[in-house]
Amino acid sequence: MEQSYMVEVDSVSMRFNLGIDKGFSLKQWFVDVGKGKKKTKNEFWALTDVSFKVKKGEVIGFIGSNGAGKSTMLKIVAGVMKPTKGEVKSYGNICPMIELGAGFDTQLTARENIYLNGAIMGYSKPFIDSKFQEIVDFSELHDFLDVPVQNFSSGMVARLAFSVATVVDPEILIVDEILSVGDMAFQAKSEQKMLSMINGGTTVLFVSHSIEQIKKMCDTVVWLDHGHIKMIGGKEVCDEYVSTMVGN
Amino acid sequence: MGTYNNLKYVWKRYGFLLKQLVSRDFKVKYKRSVLGVFWSLLYPLLTMAVMAIVFTNVFKFTTPGVNYLSYLMTGLVMFNYFSEASNLAMSSVVANFSLINKVYMPKYIFPLSKCVFVGINFLLSLIPLYIILFATGTGINVYHLLLPYAFVCLFLFTLGFSLILSSVAVFLRDMFYIYGVVLSLWTYVTPIMYDISIIENPTLSFIFKLNPLYWIVYFVRRIVLYGVVPEINAWLYCGLFAVVFLALGILVFKKTQDKFIYYV
Repeated sequence: MEQSYMVEVDSVSMRFNLGIDKGFSLKQWFVDVGKGKKKTKNEFWALTDVSFKVKKGEVIGFIGSNGAGKSTMLKIVAGVMKPTKGEVKSYGNICPMIELGAGFDTQLTARENIYLNGAIMGYSKPFIDSKFQEIVDFSELHDFLDVPVQNFSSGMVARLAFSVATVVDPEILIVDEILSVGDMAFQAKSEQKMLSMINGGTTVLFVSHSIEQIKKMCDTVVWLDHGHIKMIGGKEVCDEYVSTMVGN
Repeated sequence: MGTYNNLKYVWKRYGFLLKQLVSRDFKVKYKRSVLGVFWSLLYPLLTMAVMAIVFTNVFKFTTPGVNYLSYLMTGLVMFNYFSEASNLAMSSVVANFSLINKVYMPKYIFPLSKCVFVGINFLLSLIPLYIILFATGTGINVYHLLLPYAFVCLFLFTLGFSLILSSVAVFLRDMFYIYGVVLSLWTYVTPIMYDISIIENPTLSFIFKLNPLYWIVYFVRRIVLYGVVPEINAWLYCGLFAVVFLALGILVFKKTQDKFIYYV
């Protein structure tokens, strides 16, 4: 009965080396040697021993303060990062909606970017051909198809990115705070689209700071705190989280 | 067989992405230029003209028995592929970090797409090369059919070298400067504008021949300028350098790619 789970996260830990950002520099090396300083280890565990399983069609939400490890968790499930320890298994094609529009080349037109970004998301050419009209219709950018994206407003870019990303029916959808894009009308429309994707039986992993959204959409809520799972369960986790935050 | 099926799967899954990345490079490269893709034809001719003027008038280089322009052009077209492709590929992983950080995709696709993109430019630059061959009376012969062997070796060698460069550049940004210097040295130790016979010191001449590009250029010139089938050792060295560097490149890239994300 292994297949009844879509995602299995088994005691995952993720270590970042904060010092790595500076890397090795000749100048720093001389300074350190001069002062007789040893190289300091500046480690940071973004996640420590996190385990959970997601059933098919389940919507799981992650809450927690900034830097709690929510986005890192999603990136590990998406395959962008390899965990330092532990294992992640997923069964099905994943659609990661982590910072949309990352694959846009601003010098290219909207039309060209639909194909480029589609390819980055892993779509095939016939698939994009067949969905092209749907993407354009949803984004409502008919008049700007042959305009380079660098001339777009940020709202227009977000609309285009959202439309490209949500045209698939993925088995596993990974969402990192993207529901509020564009103007008010488009926000309502994109939230509607997201809800219909979720109700379509997709398995969803979802990060949001909007407790209301989490409550409305998620079956299971995971509360991450400094890389640990503080609480996992139903909507009552949200209330607990809110009361703790207010209490502080 | 497993490898073959694996390659087939990768092509099916990522072939379209590769095409999109290459076509993106083309669109961006010729955006808002009046002559557009004609530059791919014109540019090699102009570079050749500049070098020919300098080296025949100022330095009085000659290549006995063969036309100097044809000699120069064959060397330039081959070497320029290597220098342009490896240089672009080196920064490709770093430049696409925002993507690598957000969506899973095989990271080698970036250096690979640069090598393919410059490869298409290379094929276009064969047109000015043949124009020069005809214009100078060098002409063509039946052995030109053997040239694709050298082209494939050049591509594989460049790809292998680019994989190493692009992964090293992630950890050591100094590479961008170092490699600039290395490339200009490489231009001069490869006999592009002079004949290897002017190197009289046997030790130095031996060192010059350790250069993979020497053999690839040599292979092409034996055919194009002298109309003979290259000797067996030229075939061997070209193939050997290509395979060894490709294997080395794949190894280095595979070993380091999971750490990229912490360094970019």
